[in-house]
Amino acid sequence: MSGKSDAERAEALSRRRARVLPFLAILFLLQQTTYFTGGGAGDRTVDHVHIAAWLVLSIVLLLALATGGGWIYPRAVRDLANDEATRAHRDDAFRVAFLVSMAGCVLLYLVSFYEPVTGRDALHLTMTSGIAAALLRFGFLERRALRDG
Amino acid sequence: MADRLANGLKERRNELGLTQAELAERVAVTRKTVNTIENGVFTPSATLAIKLAQALGLSVEQLFWIER
Repeated sequence: MSGKSDAERAEALSRRRARVLPFLAILFLLQQTTYFTGGGAGDRTVDHVHIAAWLVLSIVLLLALATGGGWIYPRAVRDLANDEATRAHRDDAFRVAFLVSMAGCVLLYLVSFYEPVTGRDALHLTMTSGIAAALLRFGFLERRALRDG
Repeated sequence: MADRLANGLKERRNELGLTQAELAERVAVTRKTVNTIENGVFTPSATLAIKLAQALGLSVEQLFWIER
């Protein structure tokens, strides 16, 4: 055992999460450049693997956002790391994500008048923008909260 | 202008010689949450406000007030 109290472990989990989530958001966004520049929307086996990898990563990130992550920690530590302020930050992150996704939908709808947009591409862009926005907003709020201690 | 919920959390905590982490442990939240309340960044729920007031030996009205 580490000998640390649940509070110390929850604090460490919060700090790690605040550091890692924005970094993951940037990696997630960078991954999309290969999808759109490398023919990721194609129908070859390699394209299917690429899309499946993106989908798996999207689901993992969504679950991490929705549950607070830290699945290897005991329940008590996770509950503490997902306390009232954290839940408020998560709610705000989801609010921002919804607005960003809706803005993306409006933009895609307008683009579709001039350029055909496939359903897969539209879903890809909407999910990516929403998830990345939520990760960045949550990370920003958590980092701000951890400052000035 | 919107009303703001101000508080004397930091002053009272210092009076009692408590750290943010110690106060956080008493009310079962993280130090981060205590920090955001002290800085006025986060408005706690009524439940947490009562717990904080009890932990610091004050009434909720003594610990929190509306600033106009």
